[in-house]
Amino acid sequence: MTNNTLKILSIVIVLQSLFCLPSLAEEDDKLHFSGFGRFIVGHLDDQNAEYAGYTNKLSVNKQSLLGLQADYTFNNKFSVTTQFVAYTEDQRNSGLEWLYATYQPNNALRIKLGRQRIPFFNYSDSLDVGFAYPWLTLPQQFYDTAFFSTFDGIVANYEFPISGGYINYEAYWGRFDDKIYLASTEIDTKVIGLVGFNATLGYNNFTLRASYNEGDVNIKQDEAAQFGEILRQLGFDKNADWLNANGLIQFYQFSANYENLDYFVRSEIAKMVGKGGLVADIDSFYVSVGYNFYPYTVYLSYSEKDLHFDHIPNEIPFGLSPEIDTLAYTYQGVLAAFPDDKANGTKIGIRWDWRTNIAIKGEMTFVKGKDAISNDYALKDLGGFDGQAILYQFGIEWVF
Amino acid sequence: MKIWHGFVFLSLAAVSVFCKAEAVIVVANTPDKSIHLNRQQVRNMFMGIVSPYDFKVIALSPNNQARVVFNTKVIGLTESRIQSYWAQMRFTGRKTSPVELQNEQLMLDFLKENELSVGYVSSTTNIPEGLTVIFETE
Repeated sequence: MTNNTLKILSIVIVLQSLFCLPSLAEEDDKLHFSGFGRFIVGHLDDQNAEYAGYTNKLSVNKQSLLGLQADYTFNNKFSVTTQFVAYTEDQRNSGLEWLYATYQPNNALRIKLGRQRIPFFNYSDSLDVGFAYPWLTLPQQFYDTAFFSTFDGIVANYEFPISGGYINYEAYWGRFDDKIYLASTEIDTKVIGLVGFNATLGYNNFTLRASYNEGDVNIKQDEAAQFGEILRQLGFDKNADWLNANGLIQFYQFSANYENLDYFVRSEIAKMVGKGGLVADIDSFYVSVGYNFYPYTVYLSYSEKDLHFDHIPNEIPFGLSPEIDTLAYTYQGVLAAFPDDKANGTKIGIRWDWRTNIAIKGEMTFVKGKDAISNDYALKDLGGFDGQAILYQFGIEWVF
Repeated sequence: MKIWHGFVFLSLAAVSVFCKAEAVIVVANTPDKSIHLNRQQVRNMFMGIVSPYDFKVIALSPNNQARVVFNTKVIGLTESRIQSYWAQMRFTGRKTSPVELQNEQLMLDFLKENELSVGYVSSTTNIPEGLTVIFETE
């Protein structure tokens, strides 16, 4: 029995046990259990590529998951929330995603302290709750650019009504100290001074959101650090500096959404600026339109990512000595390992709300990589990839 | 001619009754009988957005016709979109969805017994004494 089979079996067991939970909730209405799940099967039509974890083989263990949330309310001001998520994907760590206390002195102000999701983008804090959004897979060219999703810290949220709508301000501060996965490699990462601010305006059927986020990133990169130190000792400071990935990362985001009974338009644009050498700048956006004919929704979406490095050319001369040549070739190898990466994705899909808490979705994503593919993100070249592929997906999303 | 007039009268009456049945009223148990809200204020209240009025919000379960009318005329979103909205709110720790009751009678019973509560019923429903209509759809 494989690890994945075991994981799926575990999910089924947990799911079955959850049917006993309502009786527990009834005994003590201060304790409330809820949860969400996704069962997604996908297949990429190209054997030379991988996209969002999917390959030419039919897979159910990439995005399928089960989440369980428990809320305990002490009184009308204090509560505690915890959320566990079991992933079938090997590169995501199952376990505690959230554990925070909420203080809500009044209806307008809410303060949360503990481990939470980072509210970078519109759906950053609900990535795993597929039932909450129309797509089966979020536009990867946009949502694959935030490497870490949870943090330990404080979030303050203030909301007030205006004529025709509301305004919501949110600010957070905290830190991240965990592993991230890049190009299938586990990297110890620490982000301190993680702060952000976002404002949302809801006016009639429009919702506008703007956010700014930043954090000082410290990535454990022993080999690059040692190589950089050698270059610095030899006086190649610019090249040495570029090998240092540590430094400030800034995210800017803006979104505009419109929705009514019949259709919706959702769009989001973001810019990530990395001050560290090995950290790219990323410009990304998506636009999605959908038509509702309840209980069905059909949608069309286009997303694009433009990832570019500030490559510092090789300043190490060739021909001085075999040792210096080796350094020069190594540096050029590093440059080549961090190519600019542009990709776009076009998806069409349908969502059928079969029950009020169960949605069935089907989606086709046409993905296209331009120029080099870095293999650090959703789209990976497994060798001989012509840059275009189609991902077919079918899934069931539910909440309980 | 009289038959024709009678037919027109009955048709108009039928249309009127039909339209009335397709309307909902928002009812509150409040000591302030002067409250009258507009559609956006009611929408905010039932979408968990902060409101000047600290009411406990009660909704009908999705199988009720009054809920369908309320979703259409007040919220302006489909049932599925409302469900996905509440899923996002719940699992991001932002808001909790209103308590849901199975039918309009249970709604009225709850409102009568709980001061500072608000809910909606179809506009043809007889409203018990003590409750205040704070909004009516067209």
